[in-house]
Amino acid sequence: MVKKQKPKSKPGACIPWEQKLKEIPEISGDESILQNVWEDIDALGYMYIWQCLLSF
Amino acid sequence: MVYVWTGLTQAIGLKYYGVPGIDVPPNTGFQYKEPPPEKSFMRPDEYDPLIENPTGYLFNIWLPRVSAEVSPIGEPTSYRNNLSFLKGGMAMMKYFTAFGTQNALLRSESGTVSAISGILKAPFDILADKLRGYIGLTMDLFERPDKVLAACEALMPHLTHIALSGADPDKNVPVGFWMHRGCVPFISHEHFNKFYWPTLKPIIQQIWAHGHQVLFYAEGDWNAHLRSFAELPDQAIVYHVDKADIFEAHRTIGNKFCISGGIPNVLLGFGTPDEVRDYCRKVIDGVAKDGGYIMDASAIIQNDAKVENIQAMTDFTREYGVY
Repeated sequence: MVKKQKPKSKPGACIPWEQKLKEIPEISGDESILQNVWEDIDALGYMYIWQCLLSF
Repeated sequence: MVYVWTGLTQAIGLKYYGVPGIDVPPNTGFQYKEPPPEKSFMRPDEYDPLIENPTGYLFNIWLPRVSAEVSPIGEPTSYRNNLSFLKGGMAMMKYFTAFGTQNALLRSESGTVSAISGILKAPFDILADKLRGYIGLTMDLFERPDKVLAACEALMPHLTHIALSGADPDKNVPVGFWMHRGCVPFISHEHFNKFYWPTLKPIIQQIWAHGHQVLFYAEGDWNAHLRSFAELPDQAIVYHVDKADIFEAHRTIGNKFCISGGIPNVLLGFGTPDEVRDYCRKVIDGVAKDGGYIMDASAIIQNDAKVENIQAMTDFTREYGVY
């Protein structure tokens, strides 16, 4: 019986904000704005590879 | 026929994509080319990395294998590699943003509404189509069945996410679900019940929980599995019939779901308008008396369909298919 592994990647993200956040030394502004902008564009990268797999 | 655009597939250099006019005759639809099992895009010992991180696997291992442009991880990058991501990304945006305009043109110029929004494929079919290949996967069902099941489960949340992200926000049309080789006789009933259905059914249920129907585009003959599909909530799907017995489908699940299709493409291509009208009458009489039927060809209409036959199907349905 194969032991089930916990998936690393969450749907909709290539590089989750939590991972990106660790690369930023300090945030002086509103983190939620930065997070939204990051996730909004990161999701396009996610869509790219999954749509290649599904639609093309 | 308008179905997929080679601007993107050529920008990425997709090896599995048979382009009309290059790989296949110019007046035919595109074709998928499946490599022999020993050259499958996913190797049999790569289930673990796929299961652990499907998105990472696709970017790092799968894409360089299916693309003639993308450099494998660890190898030098190139002008063509860099360009493929730029062109591919821009091409994809162009492709999807064109849908709104094209749908509006369909409506205004031919009185035709769009039929689907978004895309879904079953985890099992994804493994067979683009990763292990059909032959490789059927071997895996016997040699590493637990890995196959775990891979299907790992794909589920991602396929659900993509389906929902493309679904019609107004909920007027269903998510398109393309059904390939997960049915008898491609696989056994046992394998369908162990791999295909348990990793598909929860996806459909989740999409329905968000208020979206799914169009089961049952390519080939899926009547062996109608009782499984009947487990889904009433109205959760529209069931499209290709080569199967549409009257059996109606008898088995017609009380729960709308049925569509069932007019043979060969008839539309090589029959006469009178034969088309007769067949449409038979289907309407047998399937549509109580409503819940969408007139359509069995499969996607190709260039070989005669215009007069499509006209006969349309006109007859508008005249005879009323309540």
